[in-house]
Amino acid sequence: MSGPRQMISLGDRLARGMLIALTVMSIVLLVAPSLIVIAISFEPRGYIAFPPSGFSLRWYWALLERQQLLDSILVSLRISVMVMVVCLVLGIPAAFAGTRGRFPAKTAFNAFLLAPQMMPGMVIGIASLFFGAYISFRASDLMLVLSLSVFCLPFVVRIVMARLAGLDPLLDEASANLGAGKFETFFRVTLPQLAPAAFAGAAFTFIEAFDNVTVSLFTSDVRARPLPVELYYLVQFESSPLIAAISSLEIGLSLVVMLVIARAVGLERFGR
Amino acid sequence: MNQLIIDGVTKQFGALKVLQSCDLTVERGSVVTLLGPSGCGKTTLLRSIAGFVTPDAGRIRVKGQDISRLPPNRRDVGYVFQNYALFPHLTCRDNIAYGLVVRRVPKAEIARRVSQALDLIALAAFADRYPKQLSGGQQQRVAIARALVLEPQVLLLDEPFNALDAQLRLSMQVELRKLIDRVGITSIFVTHDQQEAMALSDRVAIMRGGRIEQIGSPLEIYDRPRSCFVADFIGRANLMPTQVRAGRTEGPQAIAAALPDGPATLVARPENIDLTPGSGPGWPGKVTFLTALGPVIEYEVDCGFSVPVRAALPRHAGVETFEPGALVTARIRDEAAAVVLPGEPNHA
Ligand SMILES: Nc1ncnc2c1ncn2[C@@H]1O[C@H](COP(=O)(O)OP(=O)(O)OP(=O)(O)O)[C@@H](O)[C@H]1O
Ligand SMILES: [Mg+2]
Repeated sequence: MSGPRQMISLGDRLARGMLIALTVMSIVLLVAPSLIVIAISFEPRGYIAFPPSGFSLRWYWALLERQQLLDSILVSLRISVMVMVVCLVLGIPAAFAGTRGRFPAKTAFNAFLLAPQMMPGMVIGIASLFFGAYISFRASDLMLVLSLSVFCLPFVVRIVMARLAGLDPLLDEASANLGAGKFETFFRVTLPQLAPAAFAGAAFTFIEAFDNVTVSLFTSDVRARPLPVELYYLVQFESSPLIAAISSLEIGLSLVVMLVIARAVGLERFGR
Repeated sequence: MNQLIIDGVTKQFGALKVLQSCDLTVERGSVVTLLGPSGCGKTTLLRSIAGFVTPDAGRIRVKGQDISRLPPNRRDVGYVFQNYALFPHLTCRDNIAYGLVVRRVPKAEIARRVSQALDLIALAAFADRYPKQLSGGQQQRVAIARALVLEPQVLLLDEPFNALDAQLRLSMQVELRKLIDRVGITSIFVTHDQQEAMALSDRVAIMRGGRIEQIGSPLEIYDRPRSCFVADFIGRANLMPTQVRAGRTEGPQAIAAALPDGPATLVARPENIDLTPGSGPGWPGKVTFLTALGPVIEYEVDCGFSVPVRAALPRHAGVETFEPGALVTARIRDEAAAVVLPGEPNHA
């Protein structure tokens, strides 16, 4: 059992201190602004004020009359779903190869897979734009989907790899022994066990693709802007609580997705 | 008829020769145990039969057909893994059905065979549980049923009782043997527990350093070991150095030996050694240690060999008991039951 109080190691104390600091920081920097934004969105007047002078859903209704905004939400939803599908279809086999495969330069392959995560989104956005210009490929929905997929792929790959590394390789042998070929084993044994991880990776990818500005700014179609880009332009000309209303909806969406993940896999299983 | 023939199977991992021309023949419906010290290649041999390891040389034939080149999923060989390797995302029922589903057996037949298998292992009530909701013994039964339901030509079991506590182990051994008899399936069973081997099998194959050193019925192996290693590995044995001269051993008891003249080893089980007080015909010695085991008392007697002679004397009235320090004479009770092996004693 743990000793008396003065026996607590320095490391433990530091850890506790860090934990408190981190909690305070995330409340101050993450939760508080979100709550303020949500509060502001209920402002009945035409300008931003905190605390709000009253409670009204006026700006939420106003949202429904802004055709351009509604269109951009649809664009974002469509793009995010496509990015999610691309990342799953490419990410799961890539993670599989990176974990189970035996081939030369596997380490380099894995580093390459995860590299986009180390790169600022803006770099990926600009690079895509320039490269696209070079091969005469204009900023478009397809371009946006591709560039966002590059950016998001590591989410899926990392989570799925972590799960794969934890799977018992004997299960594959058991499956083969019972008569299943390689593909059948993958679909019947490996994939079902990857499902929670793939699901979580997909959800993260969806959220990221839905509110990514850095990449989208450079690669989205000018005539069909996704929501984050639309908002980016909007805030430059308009500072009504409308922006707060949209942001609140986005916060709500993220929360819902997180809750769904938490129910499906347990949040604590991430990051590993 | 021989169901399984292993012929000169050899496997090397890097510089390590794990299987060195292994030969083994298993008759239809019989249970053979592979018994040997850790690292002698038991698992590797089983994995070669199942196709998870590709031998460098040699042939494996099942019912006359060479399966050495077939991939694991095309061999008709069941495997019960040491940690069971049940699919965690499938229920007990679906685990057992797995092989049938993969073989595209009609649904109705799957249902029938799976419920039969569940009855066989007495787990029908647990059919819809997931592996982690089952005890170790139950999981093991599911693993066995999962293999048996496919009615494979050969069933391989790699230390299936390792994870079980002593009590359960014993009852599972009996259960497994009954099950195998009921289905009549040719089985190879790996263990390094010699009592388990004796209890479960028709024949025991003693493995050592990648070779099969001796194979025979449990009693044959016990009574007629062909090497010091086997004698020492199965049960306990006294290995006493002696010399053979003209077909008989030298020393206090001349025992017939069909061996050329030269150094030899006299093998006698502790229960075949009798102790009498004082001096007499036999090996004089001094009791150094005793262990009361219940039905017998085991004495260690220093007779001047490099290891003490062990004698197990029954504890009934009329059998004398000795204290440490007592001077005694050790004798082989039944000379016909003693074995003489060529060469000097060689303790495993
Ligand atoms: N894939 C492999 N690569 C390298 N060496 C291996 C491999 N598989 C087994 N070995 C080595 O081969 C030897 C025999 O292993 P094996 O697992 O067959 O022994 P075993 O008789 O089953 O032992 P145990 O009773 O401990 O299970 C060991 O020294 C082991 O380290
Ligand atoms: Mg083994």
